[in-house]
Amino acid sequence: MKEHILSIVWLTPLVGMFILLLLPKENKQLIRIVANLAAFAGFLVSLPLVFWFDNSIADYQFVERVSWIPALGVEYYLGIDGISLLLIMLTTVVGFLSILSSWTAIEERVKEYYAFFLFLQAGMLGVFMALDLFLFYVFWEIMLVPMYFIIGIWGHARRLYAAIKFFLYTLAGSVLMLLAMLALYFKHAEQFGVYTFAIEDLMRTQVPLDMQIWLFWGFFIAFAIKVPMFPLHTWLPDAHTEAPTAGSVILAGVLLKMGLYGLVRFSIPLLPEAASDATTVQIIAVLSIIAIVYGALVSLMQKNWKKLIAYSSVSHLGFCTLGIIALNPNGIAGGILQGLNHGLSTPLLFLVIGIVYEQRHALEIADYGGLANRMPIYTTIFLISILASMGMPGLNGFIGEFTILRGAFERDVTWAAFAVLGIVLGAAYLLWLFQRTMLGPMTNPKNEILRDLNLREICVMAPLVLWCFWIGLYPKQHFAVLEKPVARIVERVDPEYYSRNGIPNPLTDGVRVASLVQD
Amino acid sequence: MDPLFTWTDFFVLKPAILLSLFGCGILLTDFLLKQGRWNALTALVGEGFVAVALWQHCEDVAANGQRFALGGSMAVDGFSVFFNYIFVVSAILAIIIASRYMDDEKSNRGEFYGLMLFAQAGMTVMAQGYELVTLFIGLELMALSFYVMVGFLRNELRSNEAAMKYLILGALSSGFLAYGFSIFYGISGSTNLAAIADAVAGREISDPVLLIALVTTSVGLFFKISVVPFHMWAPDAYEGAPTPITAYVSVASKAASFAMMMRIFLVPLVSVQELWMPLFGAVALLTMTLGNIAALTQNNLKRLLAYSSISHAGYILLGLAAGNETGLKGISLYILVYIFMNFGVFALISAMRREGHAAEDIDDLNGLMHRHPGYAILMLVLLLSLAGIPPMAGFYGKYFIFLGLLEAGSYLLAIAGALYVAVSAYYYFRIVRAMFLSESLEPAVIAPGLGTKIALVASAVFTLLIGLYPEPFINMATDSILLALR
Amino acid sequence: MPVTHYLVLSMALLIIGTVGVLTRRNIIVILMSIELILNAVNINLVAFSDYLQNINGQVFTIFVITDAAAEAAVGLGILIALFRNKETVHADEIDILRW
Repeated sequence: MKEHILSIVWLTPLVGMFILLLLPKENKQLIRIVANLAAFAGFLVSLPLVFWFDNSIADYQFVERVSWIPALGVEYYLGIDGISLLLIMLTTVVGFLSILSSWTAIEERVKEYYAFFLFLQAGMLGVFMALDLFLFYVFWEIMLVPMYFIIGIWGHARRLYAAIKFFLYTLAGSVLMLLAMLALYFKHAEQFGVYTFAIEDLMRTQVPLDMQIWLFWGFFIAFAIKVPMFPLHTWLPDAHTEAPTAGSVILAGVLLKMGLYGLVRFSIPLLPEAASDATTVQIIAVLSIIAIVYGALVSLMQKNWKKLIAYSSVSHLGFCTLGIIALNPNGIAGGILQGLNHGLSTPLLFLVIGIVYEQRHALEIADYGGLANRMPIYTTIFLISILASMGMPGLNGFIGEFTILRGAFERDVTWAAFAVLGIVLGAAYLLWLFQRTMLGPMTNPKNEILRDLNLREICVMAPLVLWCFWIGLYPKQHFAVLEKPVARIVERVDPEYYSRNGIPNPLTDGVRVASLVQD
Repeated sequence: MDPLFTWTDFFVLKPAILLSLFGCGILLTDFLLKQGRWNALTALVGEGFVAVALWQHCEDVAANGQRFALGGSMAVDGFSVFFNYIFVVSAILAIIIASRYMDDEKSNRGEFYGLMLFAQAGMTVMAQGYELVTLFIGLELMALSFYVMVGFLRNELRSNEAAMKYLILGALSSGFLAYGFSIFYGISGSTNLAAIADAVAGREISDPVLLIALVTTSVGLFFKISVVPFHMWAPDAYEGAPTPITAYVSVASKAASFAMMMRIFLVPLVSVQELWMPLFGAVALLTMTLGNIAALTQNNLKRLLAYSSISHAGYILLGLAAGNETGLKGISLYILVYIFMNFGVFALISAMRREGHAAEDIDDLNGLMHRHPGYAILMLVLLLSLAGIPPMAGFYGKYFIFLGLLEAGSYLLAIAGALYVAVSAYYYFRIVRAMFLSESLEPAVIAPGLGTKIALVASAVFTLLIGLYPEPFINMATDSILLALR
Repeated sequence: MPVTHYLVLSMALLIIGTVGVLTRRNIIVILMSIELILNAVNINLVAFSDYLQNINGQVFTIFVITDAAAEAAVGLGILIALFRNKETVHADEIDILRW
């Protein structure tokens, strides 16, 4: 059981999908029940990971390794470390909640909808587990297909455009990644005489710096599109705005994290010299800062509620990449944790929109106003998610942003200054959004029909809210999980880091929680 | 003196002999018995015999390696066996799709199947030939049969036109090819590929005569594999031909032409590789560009697939432009997976109906998911494979081609090829969009016969199977190039 | 006569034939131009055969002639079918499919 737990985790949604396909499509209620059970089962089987995961092991855990295509040296090679653990748990939780949230929102082609969702779920989980680049690529690509359908079939007015734009953008990025992968694979075979895609073997390859830089950008473009980073972000507002609520939730909650995950799992450790090259770092930092400020400014100007949240994602993910490219323990850990935070608070924001959209079918901010009068619980949850998103102390966003700021400050003071500007702007557009939609008198009579949350909707949001508070009030466990893997990345790019700064190295000096709460 | 015709000769020629016999047999029985429905079955039986003969070839290659017969003009090796199997599979698929389609078009006659087998006999000779005259005759046998098959719907102007255009450009290209062959003969005094190889190796690389031979031969073959700028026959011929023949032309004839191309360029012309590799690279790049861009705006499915098949030819040619073992492996594997994905799509098109007539526009697929979810999903698998999305079979062909290019250091070609994957995804997804996303008041009607159903399901299953477990197929592709080419 | 003379002649025929195929509009004339190309091949082969004192080229020639005949037969057959449906032998008027 324990040695196959990862396979079980990613296959459970897939099995659920096949069961779903056998059901008659007329019986919508049965389909909904089965789909929710399958997603819940997917969450349950992922829970043991949390309990069995050992923070004191620096290496990958729950490893499964079977040869898949010997002719190419491709293996079915799964394993997780702390970074993957957090993202897998995020995926199973957010995936289940987004399926639960669609109970009444989706009335047409119900069976296909849930089937695509479960398929997507399996693909996303695979991405976070694969330690073989080829396998990773397969999961990475196949997951695009269900997302394309989710946006394209159940989206809003311009869904066809948004769906194909999402698909083509990501595909164009990933084919470049494929080339970079193959070049690395070939280089490794040249040096060692063995064809393999396993990342720890590929890490041993000696790649000259100029080639490393080319490969780095090959990988980077794929991941930057997914994150999305500044000039490559244009698919995101369209996809978010047009996708159905659950689609936006999964897109913001999990899909964007794949870009971050790719950076820390592949780009940086595989090509450490290119990643720590001064020019590379400068370029990525500048792009991140532009994303932070630009995303925030554009959010300020949005009239469409969903688009505002979409641009706020660009800004928030800019923080994450800025932290990661600082290449020190605080920056990387903060970047990943902030990714997780964004995966909790932004789905909340989209769920909140979804609830009023389902009743009113309007997305313009001007259509709403004064909802606090009619919907007190709803307003409270919305406020919490806004505070979490803007980095209020006591909630998760604060921890993430603060850690990133420390990392950025350590690297370069100007980075930190711009990041702070981003935080201020973030508070501005989020609070203004809250004021325009929730506060004041209810002016639009159409909003009279709105009702407050029902039990199912509270159940959908409660876990996310609780997780936000957990990270905000007691983040220690999360940092403990991240400590070793982050230290491994830092060791790759800057082996001298710990001794130079006189900080104990978590890899050699035992468990030490590198968090602001502790020191 | 050697006896004129030995058992070895017979053994080597067996597939071609069987095909010709069965082809003639069909013509004869069709004339005598007037029992149309047996023709397809007879043809399938013939394919069965050929498959057995090929299996014997396979055993022989495993035991003896490459073997020559008929004074060195025909060979049996891993390469020929691999390609012959490809022809058998595509012929079987074409036959089972055709029987229903031709019934509907009221042209289900014996000649059709006879011609199919004759064309295949030509292809086997192209794959096995090791000598210029043999290769030329094989090519012409195939081409002449195809001209007639493309124009087989005699009363349809579209079909006539397609055949006429195909014939004119095909004959022109054969002329060029023969001209190139004649100069090779002049250079070497022999028509045997090995002898030509020695003669070419002894010449200066900048020899103008050699250059003329190389260019005319390339032009002739470029026509046959429909790469830019010699692609213009393909969209017309594909659109006008009966759909099963479109599938057969696009897969088998292209495979045979590539086989012949590999033989010619990798045996006699291998010593002047630096002369033709850049040429092929440039042509492949142009082909992918034009094929992909022209496909973006097509509304007729067969025309769209014609342009898509032009761009696929560009990818396959990139394998030769890489010129290394990985690239060649890529060509074999690409062609292998291309049979299934392409035939599957054409099988579905051949079954599309609107008001009782064949329908071929993308719009005619609107709402397929509502009425026939099963077919829509099979089609999705095939289209993803054509676009090269893993884990579908089509991905592995591109995988090897890209790897081969990177090994050869042709980074720009690799990047261009990779980016065109995204472009091609756009037009394949136009079809997906029609099937899954378009709401149509009048959902698509698909009326496949039993054979078409089998072809469609088998193609999709193989596409997925090769994608999930490519190991044996990769090994087949590897074996195919190991022995044959030096 | 040196072999180059024959080669020049065959090259000329090849070019004339190609230009004919590309510019002429009457399909019969196009088919004739294709015959010219194949005859260029034949001249080449026979000239080389004579020059090299090697019979292979002449054998090849017989095959090319046969092939030319087959091609003409099929071509004319298709042309007749076309003519029955649309009374023209001009390539410009064959335009249901875009050229």
